[in-house]
Amino acid sequence: MDIWRRAANPWGQDVLIGVSWDLMWSAVIAAVAFVIGHALWVRTRKEEAHEPPADVPAGIPEKIERHSFASRAFHWVMSIAMLVLLVTAFVPVMGWQFNWVDLHWQAGVLLILTVVYHVIHAIGWQDFWSMFQLGVSEGIATLKHILSPEAPAPPKAGKYPFDHRMYHHVIVVVSLAAIITGVLMMVRIDTPLWTRNPYLFSDTTWGVMYVVHGLSGVSLILLIASHIYFALRPEKRWITWSMVRGWIDREHYLEHFDPAKWVVTDVGMKSADGAAPGTGAVAEQIPSAKRED
Amino acid sequence: MAERLVGADIAPPDLHAKITGRARYAEDFRAPGMVFAKLLLSPMPHARVRRVDASRALAMEGVIDILRADEVPSRDGPREACLTDTPRYEGEPILAVAAVDEETAAAAIEAIEIDFEPLPFVIDPLESLRPGGPNAYVDGNQFSGQDGWSDFKWTDTDFAKVDAGEMPDPSCPVEWTKGDPESAFAESALVLEETIVHQSLTHHPMEPRSNMAYWEGETLHAFVSTQSSQQTKFALAGALQIDPENINLVSEYCGGGFGSKIAGTTVMQIPALFSRKINRPVMLRITRYEENYVGRARPGFQTWLKMGFLQDGKCNAIDLIIVQESGPYGAGDFNTAGMIADLTYTPQNMRFRGVSMYTNTPPKAAQRGPGGAQIISMMEPILEKAGRELGVDRFEIHRMNAPRGDVQFGPRNATLTSVHAVEALDQGREMFDWDAKLAISGKRNGSKVTGVGIGLSPYTAGSRGRDGMMIIRPDGKLYVHQGIGNLGTHSIADTARPAAELLGYNWEDVEIVWGNSARAYPRSTVQAGSQTTTAHTRANHAAATDALRKIREVAAAALGGSASSYSVDSGRVSGPGGTMTLGRIAERAIAMGGEYSGEVLPDDVHAQTVPAAQILAGEGLMGIARDNYGGEGNIYSWVAGFAMVELDEETGVVELKEYVGVTDCGTVIHPRSLGAQVFGGSIQGMGMAMTQRWVFDPQWGVPFANRFYTARPPGFLDIPADLKWGAVGIPDPQDPVGAKGIGEPPVGAGAAALTSAIADAMGGRCVCRTPLTPDVLLAEIEGRPMYGRLEQHVG
Amino acid sequence: MAKIRDMIPAFELFQPTTVGDALELLDEHRGQAWVLAGGLDSFDWFKDRVKRPSAVVDLGGISELTGIRELEDGIEIGAMTSLTEIERDERVRSGFSVLADAARHVATPQIRNQGTLGGNVSQDTRCWYYRSGWPCYRAGGNTCYAAAPQAMNREHCIMGRSRCVAVNPSDTAPALIAVDAKMVVESNGGSTVHDAEDFFIGPAIDITRMTVMKSQDLLTRIHIPAKWADADFYYEKIRDRGSWDFQLVSVAAAFRKSEGKIEEARISVNGVAPFPVRLDAVERLVQGTSGDESTASAAGELAIQGARPLRHNDYKVAMMRNLVRRAVRSVS
Repeated sequence: MDIWRRAANPWGQDVLIGVSWDLMWSAVIAAVAFVIGHALWVRTRKEEAHEPPADVPAGIPEKIERHSFASRAFHWVMSIAMLVLLVTAFVPVMGWQFNWVDLHWQAGVLLILTVVYHVIHAIGWQDFWSMFQLGVSEGIATLKHILSPEAPAPPKAGKYPFDHRMYHHVIVVVSLAAIITGVLMMVRIDTPLWTRNPYLFSDTTWGVMYVVHGLSGVSLILLIASHIYFALRPEKRWITWSMVRGWIDREHYLEHFDPAKWVVTDVGMKSADGAAPGTGAVAEQIPSAKRED
Repeated sequence: MAERLVGADIAPPDLHAKITGRARYAEDFRAPGMVFAKLLLSPMPHARVRRVDASRALAMEGVIDILRADEVPSRDGPREACLTDTPRYEGEPILAVAAVDEETAAAAIEAIEIDFEPLPFVIDPLESLRPGGPNAYVDGNQFSGQDGWSDFKWTDTDFAKVDAGEMPDPSCPVEWTKGDPESAFAESALVLEETIVHQSLTHHPMEPRSNMAYWEGETLHAFVSTQSSQQTKFALAGALQIDPENINLVSEYCGGGFGSKIAGTTVMQIPALFSRKINRPVMLRITRYEENYVGRARPGFQTWLKMGFLQDGKCNAIDLIIVQESGPYGAGDFNTAGMIADLTYTPQNMRFRGVSMYTNTPPKAAQRGPGGAQIISMMEPILEKAGRELGVDRFEIHRMNAPRGDVQFGPRNATLTSVHAVEALDQGREMFDWDAKLAISGKRNGSKVTGVGIGLSPYTAGSRGRDGMMIIRPDGKLYVHQGIGNLGTHSIADTARPAAELLGYNWEDVEIVWGNSARAYPRSTVQAGSQTTTAHTRANHAAATDALRKIREVAAAALGGSASSYSVDSGRVSGPGGTMTLGRIAERAIAMGGEYSGEVLPDDVHAQTVPAAQILAGEGLMGIARDNYGGEGNIYSWVAGFAMVELDEETGVVELKEYVGVTDCGTVIHPRSLGAQVFGGSIQGMGMAMTQRWVFDPQWGVPFANRFYTARPPGFLDIPADLKWGAVGIPDPQDPVGAKGIGEPPVGAGAAALTSAIADAMGGRCVCRTPLTPDVLLAEIEGRPMYGRLEQHVG
Repeated sequence: MAKIRDMIPAFELFQPTTVGDALELLDEHRGQAWVLAGGLDSFDWFKDRVKRPSAVVDLGGISELTGIRELEDGIEIGAMTSLTEIERDERVRSGFSVLADAARHVATPQIRNQGTLGGNVSQDTRCWYYRSGWPCYRAGGNTCYAAAPQAMNREHCIMGRSRCVAVNPSDTAPALIAVDAKMVVESNGGSTVHDAEDFFIGPAIDITRMTVMKSQDLLTRIHIPAKWADADFYYEKIRDRGSWDFQLVSVAAAFRKSEGKIEEARISVNGVAPFPVRLDAVERLVQGTSGDESTASAAGELAIQGARPLRHNDYKVAMMRNLVRRAVRSVS
C-alpha cells in the first residue's frame, strides 16, 4: 500500500503531490470495521443500569435546552457541507465520475462560512470553555470504563462529556487542516474571484499542502462515519434528537449529566409542549464562563 | 569544342545516391564492435550537478561505460563543453552512457540517479538587463576575455521608458554613430518609432547532428555531420587537442545545417572521447528532440527603431537599439544587423546600440542570414509604412534607399565590390508585375484582403585567399579536391565548374573528390556566410590556371613549341607540335615530377594544404594555387523579394499567393541550383516570419515546440506552386569568375516581403513581431493584442 | 530518474485478428493494455517514454474493423478505416461530405494513410505541458501548468474547462457530431452506442480521459444515420500552416433546408474546449431563418457566450465567433 503519491516535477525533481488513494480505501475499510466491531463489542457488554435519581431537584424543567436553533442550524449546514465535500472528494476516485470540482469548492466555502459563524457564535454567545475543559481525571475514568466494564462509571459530565469534547477537538484540528489547505488550494483552480496561480508556493510546499489536505480528508471519512454511526445507535438517539429538536428531557439530563456542572434553571420553561424550552447555564465554578444564549 | 559549364544546369554528382538512398550520412556508418551512446540532458535551464550515482546503470547487462564532464575538454567563461556539470540550458548534455544498443543505453540513462541544484535563470534578456534582475551565469551576464565577468544592467530610468512603451536611451556595450543622427532627425519630414520583436527559432536541419568515431592507434576516424569538411577536421583536432593529421574525417553528406554545423558540432567530440575511453567505436545518434536543444538557434531580437525620412522618402537617419537573446554561449547577429540596416537604407546618419545578453536557452549560432534576416524582416515594413505616410510609391522608396556602387556603410565605412540591388528591384518589379499588383493592394474579396510587399535583403557573399587543388590523372580525368563539404547546396560541384571550363573539360570527365579527409583537401573556407561560391570558384580558378600553365609546359616539352601556343579542349591539348590527351600529359607530368606532379608546391599555399598535396603528389598533373586575385571591399549578394498575400480578416490566416525573388549574385554558375537557393532561403524566411516558432515556459525556463510538428517550419502547402526567381547576372568585376554566394540573402527577402505584404493587407498597420501567425493577426484585427510589445519566446 | 526521449521502451505486442480476441486481451490486461490503431498518437507517447504500457493491442490485423458499409439507415464505418479511405469514399463524399472534408484536413497524406477514424476521435490531447510528461491533473498530478498566469496557452481552451484547459485535437470529431453519428463501443460486457457528442467527455467528468471509453473498451464502428445525408454541410479548420497541423479552431455544420429556410441544424466546434462542443443554442437560433447575415452574426455571438480565454488565447473567441458566423452564412 502506498501512503503518498509522488511525481517528477518539470525539472525532474521528485515531489509529493498528495496522499495515495489507497489511504482512502483504508479509511473506508477502517470505518466499516470500526462500526461492525463496535456494534459487536457493545453486545458483549452488560446493559448498564442507569438509575434516575429518586428526587428530581427543584427547578429542573421537563425539557432542557441543549442546542439553540442557531447551534442546530450551524450543525446541519456544516454537516451538509462536510458530506458534500466528502462525496465530491472521494466518490469520483471510487469510480463514479461527475463534475465535482465546483461543488467541492463551493461546499468548502460554505463550510468555512459555517465555521467562522460557529467560532464567533461560540466565543460570543455560547459557553466557549465548556467545550475546552481539559478534564483529565474524567478522561481517565471514561477510558477505564470503556476498557473494562468492571471499572466504575465515570463521574457525570457537564454539558459536553469527555468523549464529545475529544471528538470535537479532533474534528476541529482535522477540519481546520483541511480548510486552511483547501483555501490555499483554491488559488490553483478557477473561481469567479481570482485567476489561478499554481506558482504561489513551491512544488514542495504545495506537495505538503496536498498531503495535509488528503490526510485530513481521509481522516474525516473515519471521523464522520463514526459520528454518524454513534448518532444512529439506539442508546444515543436521545442526544441525536437533541440536535434536531434542541432539547433533551429531564430524565436523560439527570441520568447523564451532573446538574452541578451543567446548571439548568426553569427560566422560560412553560410546559412540555411549550415553544420555549429551558435555558441551560454553566456551573458557577468556571470563572471564565460566559452567558449562554 | 567542350561544353559551356558556367551558366548551364547539371545533375550534381551526389544526386543519384541521394535519390536512391545510397547516400551515407554520419549515422549510416558502422564499424566492428560499435556501441551506442545516449545522452543525459539537463532538465533545468541552469543548475549544478550535485551528485551522480550511475551504479545501477553500470550494473545493467549491455552497458559499457559512462562518460562524465570531467573527462572532456572545457574552458572557463561562457564557452561550451560537450558535457558539463553546470548546465546553462534545459537540454544541455550532462553525461553519456555507452551500451551495446540504444534501448539499453536509454534504459541505463533512466537508471542513473542524478541530483541537480537549480540556479537562477534568465529566458528574457530584458529581465537580465533590469536592475536587480537575474543573470544567466552565477558570476554575471557579460564576459570579456580580459576582465572576466561583470554585471551589466540598464538603469531604472531606462526601464521607466521601456515600460512606458518608449524608446530608452541606454548605454550598451556596442555603440557606434556615423553622421549626425540628432540633427538629421530634426530635419526629417517623418520620424517613425517602433518597438519590434524578432523571435528566436531553432535551425532544425533534416539531419540531426549524429556522429560516430573510433580510434586505430593514434588515428581518429570521425564520421560527422558538418557543413565544412576540411575545416571541421581542424576544429575537431583543436577541441580534442590532437594533431589534425591524426584525424580521418568522413563527411560525405550533410542533411542541412543552416549555420548550425559550420565546422562540425560540439557533440562530435563525445563519440571521439568516449571511443578513446572504452576502445570501441561509438555511435551517437542525436534524435529530433535532442536536436531541438543541442542543434543551435537563431538569436531573437528585442528592438527599438527610430527612422527618419525626408519628404521624398529618402531615409536620412536611423537610431537602432538591439537587445539580443544570445543563449549561454553568445552570438554576433546584432552587430551584423546594425551594419545591414546602414547598408540597406543608406541613411548617412545612424546610431547603433546593441547588447548581447546571455540567457539560459539553448545555444545560439549563425542561422542563414544571421542578423541580416532578422533586421530586414523587421525594418522593411517600416520603410513601406514611411512610403505610405509620405505618399511615396512603395517600390520607389525601396529603390531610392537601396545602395549604389559607391555605398559606404557601418562605423568604418565599409565598401562593396559590386552592388546591383537596384537592378534586382527593377527586374523583380517587372517579373512580379508590381504596378498591376499594387493596384489590387487592399482589394477585398469577402473577408479576404490583398496585400503586396517587398523585401530587399543583402548578405555577405564571399571571401578570398583560399587554396585550390586538382589533379589530372593518367585516366585523363580532372579530379577536383573539394574541402568545402557537401551541405546539399551543390557547391562541391558548382565551384569546380569554372575551373573545369577553363581547362576545357566536359563535365563527364570531371570527378569531384569530397567526403573523406584521407582523400586530401586543400585549405578551404568554412562553408558558411555564403562564402563558398566566391572563395572556391576563385581558388579552383587559380588552381586550374596553374594546371593550365603546367599542361602547356608539359605539352611544349613533349611536342615542342612554346607553351603559350598550346590550348586545351575536351581532354586534349593541342598546339604547333600536335595533340596529346590530358591522360598522356598526366603521365608525362608524373615523369617530370617537381611542381608538375605536385612534389614541389607553391610557396604561398597554406600549411594545411601541404600534407594534403603530399598525399596526391606523383599521381598526375597537379594544379595547385592560392587565390591571390585580391580585391577591395566586401562581397555582398542581394535578393529582392516580392510577395502578394491574402489576409482573411475573420481568421487571421494569411495565404501567400505569389512570390518572386530576384538576386544580384554576380555570374550565374548553375541556374537550377541558384533557383533552389533563392526559393529555399526565401521559404525559410517565410517560415521565420509566418509559421515557425519556439516557445518557452517562463516559469520553468524550458522550450516547447521541440518537434517538427510543433515547431512548424513551413510546408509544401504554405507556398504557391509557382514561385518565380530571377538573377541580375552581372558579374562581380573584382572576381575572375564574377560569382558571389547566395545562401543567406533570400531568407531576409522572403521574410520581409511577407512582413511587408501582411502589413499592407492590414491597411498599413505593422504588427512588429514574428511570427505573424493567425492568432497574432486576428487579435490585432480585433484590437485585442495578446502579447506585450516586447514579449519574447511566445506563440 | 533521469529523463530520456525518442526511444520506445519494450512492450508485449498482441495482434488479434478478431474483435472478440481484442476484447479478451483488453479484459485480461485491464488497465495495462494500450490500444494501438494507426499509431500516430501512440508512438509519440511511447517514444517519449511518458506512457509505458506493458501490453499493446494492435488492431491493425482485425479486418472486421475496416471498411465502409451501406446500411438501410445510412452508412457504417469501421473504426480502423483509414482517413484516406474516408476522404475518398464516394458514399461519404456524396452523402456526408463534411466528414470527407474533415478527414482531408487531417495532417498530411502519409498520416491520413496510416491514421484511422477510430484513432482520430480517440486520440489524446496535444497540450504540450501534458505531452511533455509533466505531472498535471490529466497525468494524475495536482496542477494545470497550461493555465498558470504566464503559461504558453494559445492553443488551449476558452470554454468547458475544469482544472484542465487542454483541447480535443480531432478534426473528424465535430464532423461526426454534425452528422449525428453513433459510436459503437464494445467491451467484454457487451456493446453500447453513444451519440457522437456524448462520446467525448470533459475533464469535469474524468480528467484523465478524452472519451467515454475506459481501458477495456473498444470503439468498433461508427454509424452515420441517413437522416443528415445530402444536407448542406460546412467544414472549416483554421491552423497555423497548410498541413501537418492541429486545428486552432474548427467548425462542422449540417443544415437541413426547406424553401430557403433552415429547418434543422447541427453545429459543432472543436479546438475551443476539452471536447468538441455542440452548439445547441445556436442550432435553435438559426432554425427557421435563411442564414442571413444578421442571423449569422447573432449565431456567432451566441456561440461564444460564456467563453473565458486564458492569457494567450483571446483570439480564439473571435475565431470561433467568425467560424460559426461563416458556417451559418454558408446556408444563404
